[in-house]
Formats: sequence, C-alpha cells, structure tokens
Amino acid sequence: MIQDTLLAFGAAVLQAGGMLAVAPLLKTAIKKMKARLQNRKGPPLLQGYYDLAKLLRKERVRSETASWIYVAGPRVYFAAAVAATTLVPVLYAGAPLEAAGGILLLVGTLALGRFALATAALDTGSPFGGMGASRDMTIAALAEPALMLGLFASALAAGSLSLGVMVRGLLQQGLAFHPSDLLAFAGLFIIVITETGRIPVDNPATHLELTMIHEAMVLEYAGPDLALVEWASALKELLYLTLLVDLFLPAGMATSVAPVALLVALLAWAGKIFVLAIFVTVAESTNAKLRLFRVPELVSVSLGLAFLALAIRFL
Amino acid sequence: MGMPAAIVLRWVTVAATLALSRRPGACRVAAMGGSILASVLTVTVALYVIASGRTLDGILVRHAASGIVLGYSVTPLAAWFLMVLGLIAAPVAFYSVGYFGHTVKAPRMAVVGTAFNLLLGAVEMVFVADGVVAFLFAWEVMTLLTAALVATEHEDPTSRRAAYLYLVMSHVGTGCLVAGFLFLAAAAGSLSFSAMLAGGIVVGPARDALFALFFLGFGVKAGVIPLHVWLPEAHPAAPTSVSALMSAVLVTAGIYGFFRVCAFGLGVPDVNWALAFMAVGTLSAILGVLYALTQTDIKRLLAYSTIENVGIIVLGLGASMMALAHGSRVLAAVAVAASLTHVLNHAIFKGLLFLGAGSVAMATGTRQIERFGGLLRRMPWTGLFFLIGAMAISGLPLLNGFPSEWLTFQALLLGFTSTPGMVRLNFPLAGAMLALTSALAAACFVRAFGISFVALPRSRAAAEAQESPRTMLVPQALLATLCVAFGLFPGWVLRALGSVMGSLPGLEPGTDMALGGGGMASGLGRFDHVVPVMLGVALMGALAAAGFLTKRRGARLRRVPTWGCGGELTPRTEYTATAFSKPLMMIFRAVYRPTREVEALAEVSPYFPREVRYRAAIEPTFERYVYGPLARAVLRVANGMKVLQAGSLHAYLAYVLVLAVILLMWLGGPT
Repeated sequence: MIQDTLLAFGAAVLQAGGMLAVAPLLKTAIKKMKARLQNRKGPPLLQGYYDLAKLLRKERVRSETASWIYVAGPRVYFAAAVAATTLVPVLYAGAPLEAAGGILLLVGTLALGRFALATAALDTGSPFGGMGASRDMTIAALAEPALMLGLFASALAAGSLSLGVMVRGLLQQGLAFHPSDLLAFAGLFIIVITETGRIPVDNPATHLELTMIHEAMVLEYAGPDLALVEWASALKELLYLTLLVDLFLPAGMATSVAPVALLVALLAWAGKIFVLAIFVTVAESTNAKLRLFRVPELVSVSLGLAFLALAIRFL
Repeated sequence: MGMPAAIVLRWVTVAATLALSRRPGACRVAAMGGSILASVLTVTVALYVIASGRTLDGILVRHAASGIVLGYSVTPLAAWFLMVLGLIAAPVAFYSVGYFGHTVKAPRMAVVGTAFNLLLGAVEMVFVADGVVAFLFAWEVMTLLTAALVATEHEDPTSRRAAYLYLVMSHVGTGCLVAGFLFLAAAAGSLSFSAMLAGGIVVGPARDALFALFFLGFGVKAGVIPLHVWLPEAHPAAPTSVSALMSAVLVTAGIYGFFRVCAFGLGVPDVNWALAFMAVGTLSAILGVLYALTQTDIKRLLAYSTIENVGIIVLGLGASMMALAHGSRVLAAVAVAASLTHVLNHAIFKGLLFLGAGSVAMATGTRQIERFGGLLRRMPWTGLFFLIGAMAISGLPLLNGFPSEWLTFQALLLGFTSTPGMVRLNFPLAGAMLALTSALAAACFVRAFGISFVALPRSRAAAEAQESPRTMLVPQALLATLCVAFGLFPGWVLRALGSVMGSLPGLEPGTDMALGGGGMASGLGRFDHVVPVMLGVALMGALAAAGFLTKRRGARLRRVPTWGCGGELTPRTEYTATAFSKPLMMIFRAVYRPTREVEALAEVSPYFPREVRYRAAIEPTFERYVYGPLARAVLRVANGMKVLQAGSLHAYLAYVLVLAVILLMWLGGPT
C-alpha cells in the first residue's frame, strides 16, 4: 500500500516534470506554425525556454500596494496546473495519481488555480488586473457547463468519471467510433480554445487594453513571478490537448511499463498533440477575435454540441 | 437524558440573562456562555445518536389533566441537523460575546440574549419534536423570535419592513403546514409523527395536494426560489451573529421539513415531485448566484448565496427522490448523502463568511463592498478566514465545498445511468447548471474577496479599519479549520452519515462510499472516487517547486508603485465591484433586465461634461411580477371583506346566530 503510493508519487513527479519540460515547446511550435501561415519565419523552436530562463533570472519587482495574495497567486496557479497534470494519463494508460480522483477533481484543481490568479490580479490596484480578472472569471463561468457536459458525455459512455478507467476502456474497445464522439470532440475543442485563451476568444499575442483577457490579468507581473504564470499557462494548454487525446483517441498508449511500449506511446502522443496543435493554429489563423459579448454564443454552440452528443448516444 | 438537559440548560441561560439584564456585560457573557455550553451538549447528544444509530426518545412534558404529552425523539436524521446547529451555534455565540458588545445597544442586550437562546432552543425543538403539537409550537416560536431579532434595530424602517415581510411569508407557510398536518393527522388518527409520517396513509391526488402544501410550507423557510423574497431582506437586517445563524441553521429547518415530510414522510415519492424539487433546486441555485453576483452589500450578497446553496441541497434531494421513485435504493443514498453533506458544509462556510462580514462591517461601519478595499493589510486574520470561506463556497478542492458538490455531481450522473426514458436527460442538464452555478459562485467570491480585501482602500473607513478582537477571531478560526478538515477528509463525514442514511426508509447506502485516507467513492460500483489528501500532497510539492524556481539568492526585492496608465493610481481608478460583474450582467441581461441612466451635466459643450451621474439597477423580477400582483389581489379581497366587518355589534350577533343555525342543521340533519 505504502509502496504503491510512493510509486504513484514517483510517477507523478516524472510525469509532471516531463510535461513541464515539453510545455514551452508546444507554445513556441504553435507560434512558429502561425508565423509560417502568415509567411513569416517565426521564433526559433527553443524560444519558449529562452524566455522562461530570462524571466527566471530577472530581479523581482512587485507593486507597493500588493499583499501576499499577489505573491501567492502565480504560485498556486502554477502548483494547480502541475498537480492537475498528475491526474491525467499521458503515456501510460493510467494517471499517476489516479487514486486521488477523476475528471471532477481535475476540473476543480484547475478552477483553484484560476481563482488564485484572478484574486491576485486585483491585488495591485491597477484597473487592468480587475478587467482581466472579471473577464477571465466570466468566460470561465460560461465555459464550465459546456466543459462539464462534454466530459459527462464521454464519461457516461465509458461508465466512469475516472480518466484511467475511461482510457483503458477505450483501449480495450479498439478503434470503435460512435458519431456522438465527433460532436463531443467539437464541443470540447471549442472549450479548449476558450480555456487556453486562444483566438477567437482571447488573443495571447496582444496587449491591447480593449481586447486582453488573460494578459490583462497578469499585466502587473514581472520576472520570476511572470515566468511561473507563463509556464503554467503553457502547461495548461498541453494538459487540455492531452485530455482531448485521452478522451477521443488514446490508441497507442502503453498498457505496461515496458520501455518499448512507453517509447511507442511517447511517439504516438507527440504525434497526436502535434496534430491538435495544427488544429489550434489553423483555428487561430483563420478566425478573427470575437467581441467579448459574442463569446457566449460560441460557448453555447459547444454546450449544444455536447448535449446533442449525449442525446444521440443514449436515446 | 442529554436532550432534556440541553433544553433545561437553555432555560437556565435565559433566566440568567434576564436576571442580569441590568448589567449588559455580564448579561452578554452569561447568555453567550450558556449558549455555548448548551450547543456543545447538543452536539454531544447528536454525535451519540449518529454514532450509535439508535433513536433517542422520551417525554418532556406530561399534563395529566388535559392528556397532552409533549415528547422528543432524536432520530439520526434529526441528530444530523442538531449537530449542524450546534457546530455553528457555538462559534457564533463565542463571536457574539465580542460582537454584541460593540453593536447592540446595552439596554437591548437582555432581550437579544434571551431571544438568541430561545431561538436556538426552538430550532432544536423543531428538529426533535415527535408530534405535531410540539413541532408547530416550536416552529411558531422560531418564526416569531427570528422576526424579533431581525427587528433588533427597529429604528431603521428597512429592518421593520424586513421583519414584517418575513412574518407574513412565514405565516403563509405555517398556514400551509397546519393545514397539511391536520389533514394528515385526521387520516392517521394520531398526532405523533411516527404514525403520521409512516407513509402510505394518504393516497391518490390527495397525496399530491399534501405534498404541495408541505412544499410551500417548508419552502418558505428554506428560502427556495420563488418563495425566497423575504430572505435577502431579513438575513442582512439582523445583527450579523443572527444573520449567520439564519443563513447557516434556520434555512435548514425548512430543509429538515423537506426531508422528514416531503421526501420520506409521504410514502414513495412521485416522479413529478422529484422533478419539481430538481427544477426548484436548479432555479434557486442559478438565480441565487446570479443575484448574488450583482450585490454590493456584503450581507445581501451572502444571503443570495444562501439561496444558491439551498438550491444545491434541494437539487440533491430531488435527485434522491427521483431515485426512490424509480426504486434505485443505492443511488438514492448517494443523493441523500450529497444533500446532507452540503447542509453541513454550507452551514460551516456560510457561518464563517457571515462572521467575517460582521467583523468587516464593524471595523468600517458600512456593508458596501465598494467602500472596502485593502482590508487584508489592516485585518490580516479576518481576511485569511474570509478567503478560506470564499474558496470553500466556490467549491474548490481541499476545502469543504468541493466534496458536497462532487457528491451532487455523482448523484446526477449516476441518476442518468440508472433511470429509464427521457426523464433522465434532466440529470445531465441539472449537472451542467450545477457546473455553471459553481463557476459563477467562484466569480462572485473572487469579486467579494478581491474588491473587499486587496488593492487600495476605497474609503477612509477602510484605510483606518482595525482588526477585530480575539473573541471574534477565534470562532472564525474554528470554522475555517472545519472547512479545511472536512475538505481534506470528506470520508469522515460520509462515514458519520452512514447511520443517518440507514435510518431513512428506502435507502441502501453503498458500503464502500467512505474510502481510506478520508477519501470517498460514489458507491454503485466505483463510478468515481476522490482522495483530497493526495491532491493536497501533490499541490504542496508543486508549491515547493514553484518556490524553489522563483528563489533568487542574493537578489533584492524591488517595490515600485503600480503603473496607473500615466495618471495617478487612486482608489477611483480601481476596478469596482459593479464593473467586475458588468460582463456577466450584460450576458445574463435576460435575467437581470438591467436599467441604466446616464446623465451628463455640461456647461459649455456636451463634449466636456462637468459631472456624470450614473445609476444602474436590476429589475426585482419576482417582487414585481409575482408578489406585486399577489399582494394587490389580497388587498382587494380584504377591502371587499370590509363590508362584513362593519363594526356593528348587531351584525356580528346575527353572524353568530346564522352560523349556529347552519351548524345545527348540518350536524343534526341526516341522522
């Protein structure tokens, strides 16, 4: 029992470390692909790491008006994202901390990070922080029911809310396909776009006051504090894409810890994430950013898709 | 012996309070000290019943001449509500020792202290009464004392109005209860609950009518939408300790009634009842939190959030009734567990939040969050405890709001898998609405905490606020500890609930719901499980990593002013609470129906206004479109009735005569 727990935490550390190491790469890769679509060269693939290293080396600058909430915000946000990665199966068909809980805990953990960052954003007294926090919480609130319904559609099909059980069930089924999967995937993809702050919901590349959401929230951060936020955001994006992979196409995942199986799983996972990254890039490049008050329409499309998926599957 | 002892202790406390009425300080300590002791005793009795699973009953008063016997019976269900009451009432009384000293005028102390203790005694009696007479008596005493406490500051017309509204609505509710109980008693031929609520006494459409009566009667007290209009008026008007009790404990009296009578007292519930419960629960949850989001009065905000949480509790109960109607006994147990744990958890974090709000209001002299700001620096402990409460109520993991929402989700999802037909689509829809509720609650409490406690002080009062005395901080610390403990180890709560669920008819608790390490599983074949401690360890590890990453040896921390967009950063450039909730208000404008007036006063050119006045309001939909016409209709009917009551003695005598003749004819006729 104790040995199992230790093993689980060991695996969790490995997985979280690995995901943290890869996350900046994903972010830069999307940036680069987007640049190529616009006939630009884009940053070098390792730019994400250079940025983080630079930020981590910088001096710490904090606002005079800020309290400990300002310091705690990015740390809790980072910790929540890291803890959340340990709840998701990546290479092996089972999450390291599967014993801790399933999808609901995962969603709750991410909500914890969001709560911390939004509260911290209000701390400096800058109007931007409040604006960002307000918008971020608004959009998160709207996305939540669609996210849950989408997850429920998959979970009810698998008969469990535990991600490990769901993935193993899908693996056993082989490449079975149900039309409702397509709807649920489309619904959840919209939510992933929403939650990761991508166009058409939010533009990660802008600092224009009228349109920023996530960036407005973290505008007052600098140096190592900002590095934590950036890193955690990148990790969250990787996490959401991994979640999509888990729910809809886990094929190739290792069911044993044999090195060969893990290597195959790694390649399969990287390939699938790459394909999803292309999806995200294309969505970003071919859409215009929506006005804030048009976002509810987009999210309700996702809600509708998830509900239809559920209805088709079970009625 | 425990229960009578607790009641006697309450009476002794009341006597001591009245005896010391000349000395407000001693009177306060006596009233609250006695209250704490009595509450501790209540919790002990409740825990004994919960642990043993045996009902504790006996007789309180026996009047030989009239044959009236008032008995008590602490069933495991009643014990659960008693435990919640005691767990909240003890810290609230502790807090009141400090709080009442500052906020209640000395001559009123004896009255407030007496009412406080009698109120708690009455609520206890409501939970343990084993017959209609004792129940309705206690119910009425509870209503009257609450109204009295709401009107503590009776110089203020809004307090008087709130108390009046509360009295009127409660009495409509009580009227429904009296009618329902009389009908049930006549059918059962007995006034004792064990006979009346055995189920199957009334069948057919009469049973549905009874359900509707009880639903209205208890619904008013529980504050479910659309019977809620008194709640956001009355809860904030009372002194904060009483508000905490009202929101945390008094609404549970209505919920207890829902459990005792509507769900488990009228036989196997009908599918339509379950649907009604789920609909009302979802509606209350969503609308409650939406209204809470726009409030700028911190106590009103908390009152609306109480409606939201009652909605979640009722939603869980509705799911269990649906399961009972379809004969899924294990699922019914999961849903009941969700509902009852939320009763406990909501009481804890709402009590905590109200106490924090009271401290802040006392320190700043206002309840408007737009006038707070930066309080975390002046009141670090209150701020920390309020933050814990805010995170708990937002349903974030590691705190106690999460387990009960988690269980409710389980109940809804399992409900989908184990009920047949179209009706089951209600479950995932309710689940989606619950997700929306909980995310909106997070937005609401980021706003409530962030606007109040961080950034720059928005008023002079906030800049000069003083931390509360220790008597007011310790109880908050206690409740905050409970938030964390029940959040980390929800399995303990579930284990305690086992005997309660075992005692309710039709439930079959899954044996494996409480996991090792304080975790819990959803029953019904391990659909899902959660062990918060494990997540806690992972979070701690990740936090340590974050600390390590940002640690820079030898680097100095530079503190600079926040950039104010080129201007000076003042409280007026900060984001306000109203601005924070503006996007949501725009998105949900169908619900709020906001009205806005902007008035620009210009002297020279309209492009250079000297002064801009801005007024925004949301439409009180229920007050205007439901209760407005209702009140007008009642007044019209009353006006018409005036003809009967003309003030002429002869006419009144004639009425008596006519009535007597009719009765004689009716009674003496057919035999």
